[in-house]
Amino acid sequence: MKYADFPLLGRRPFTEFSISGVLEPEPAELGEWTAARWVFERASVPRERVEWWYHGPSRLWFRVRRDTGSDIVVAIEPARTGSRA
Amino acid sequence: MSLRLLKYAFIEDYAEPRWFNTPATLGDSYDVVIIGAGGHGLACAHYLAHDHGITNVAVLDRSYLGGGNTGRNTTIIRSNYLTPEGVAFYDASLALFRDLSDALDTNIFYSERGHYTLAHNESTLRTARWRAEVNKHYGVDSEVVDAEAVGRAAPGIDLACGGNHAVEGALYHAPGAVARHDAVAWGYARQASRAGVEIHQHTEVTDILVEQGRVTGVVTPRGTVRAGAVLSAVAGHTPSLLAKVGLSSPIEIFPLQACVTEPVKPWLDTIIVSGSLHLYVSQSARGEMVMGASLDPAELHSRRSSFEFVSGLADGMLDLFPGMAGLKVNRQWAGMADMTPDFAPVMGTTPIAGFYLDAGWGTWGFKATPISGKTMAATIANGRDDPLIQAFNLSRFDDFSLVGEKGAASIGH
Repeated sequence: MKYADFPLLGRRPFTEFSISGVLEPEPAELGEWTAARWVFERASVPRERVEWWYHGPSRLWFRVRRDTGSDIVVAIEPARTGSRA
Repeated sequence: MSLRLLKYAFIEDYAEPRWFNTPATLGDSYDVVIIGAGGHGLACAHYLAHDHGITNVAVLDRSYLGGGNTGRNTTIIRSNYLTPEGVAFYDASLALFRDLSDALDTNIFYSERGHYTLAHNESTLRTARWRAEVNKHYGVDSEVVDAEAVGRAAPGIDLACGGNHAVEGALYHAPGAVARHDAVAWGYARQASRAGVEIHQHTEVTDILVEQGRVTGVVTPRGTVRAGAVLSAVAGHTPSLLAKVGLSSPIEIFPLQACVTEPVKPWLDTIIVSGSLHLYVSQSARGEMVMGASLDPAELHSRRSSFEFVSGLADGMLDLFPGMAGLKVNRQWAGMADMTPDFAPVMGTTPIAGFYLDAGWGTWGFKATPISGKTMAATIANGRDDPLIQAFNLSRFDDFSLVGEKGAASIGH
């Protein structure tokens, strides 16, 4: 089973979490891009990217930097809440 | 012992001819270069030669023949889809599959088993009714049956599912079948090869040449090859290949895992699928229980298999078939599934002239092998999309005309 050290939680198995999308910078303006491209287009090649992961039992959100080619987790940081920001 | 076998005892040089050509040298020009020697690529090569007389064709693969998703799927063939486009397409595939052993002069072990998609609640049953009505309208044999009918077809099934999520009924699709996936790829390779098509294994395409919006060839470690047309049939490597020609797509790569148990005596004659429990199971001709679950949750470009998969699968499987508790899992593996947002493939022409795409086969590619080959061959020969695949063109994402097929997907996503 795959484990990682999460801030605030300690060592937890990934099965306790669910992925909820990728942190991609939104384009300031769509420019040449059509709206449809922004909705559907994916850069699904092996790369490092930051993903949102949700921990159900504690209701905490994390930003996980993961390599989609090797499945290696590079960094994990908690999503800042309003009071901690 | 068959007489054919006995004959070989008396022949000194008894080797059967090779199944397909492996030419020592790669040519420098072909009419058509097909990237990917899986079922789809080889089927296209066969139909290019057989239907259109185009034999100056090379099929290139970075690895060995049929070693990608062709050899990793769970071999289920069905046509009980949800959209008119999907039903017509997959039903044409099923018709080709039925005669494929004869057409390819290769026994593909095509075996009609019947296919039950279980419903554990009212909303799943409603989708089953919807699918049954669409299917009947297009002449496909599908009907909704009650739980008792499932019990009669699948001995040992616990219809109460351990008391957690009882089976309420099922969508029954009588033509549902299994076949030997390697034999399909090898059969197509053999026939294409006989017609003069060259198959080059271990020949990776490292770049695709495009000049003035038109494809002109491919680059491999064995040299540059000029080509009038290039077909990409590379499943999980599609986004990486598209990046070489500057195209993008909505395709996302997720691993799909499967496993087989040790072989046992035949006891399950039919194919059982449960979308709610995220599992499906059939028994192979060798007696192994072939099982799969849902896609892995996160994008990954790797074919590693995981313990989470088998433990999760076993959890649901033992609810449904408690008698399988003593069976040992022999092998488990993963394939890279190229998923699309609407669960339909991406096929046909692209904005680059001469560059064709056969992709987006996610978890539904094996059953489409013959018809995808036939329609892609027609598309390449005529330079325009075959009528059967017009709805599947990459351009559908630009104008929001998606083909919603998610409700007909067997496995959880």
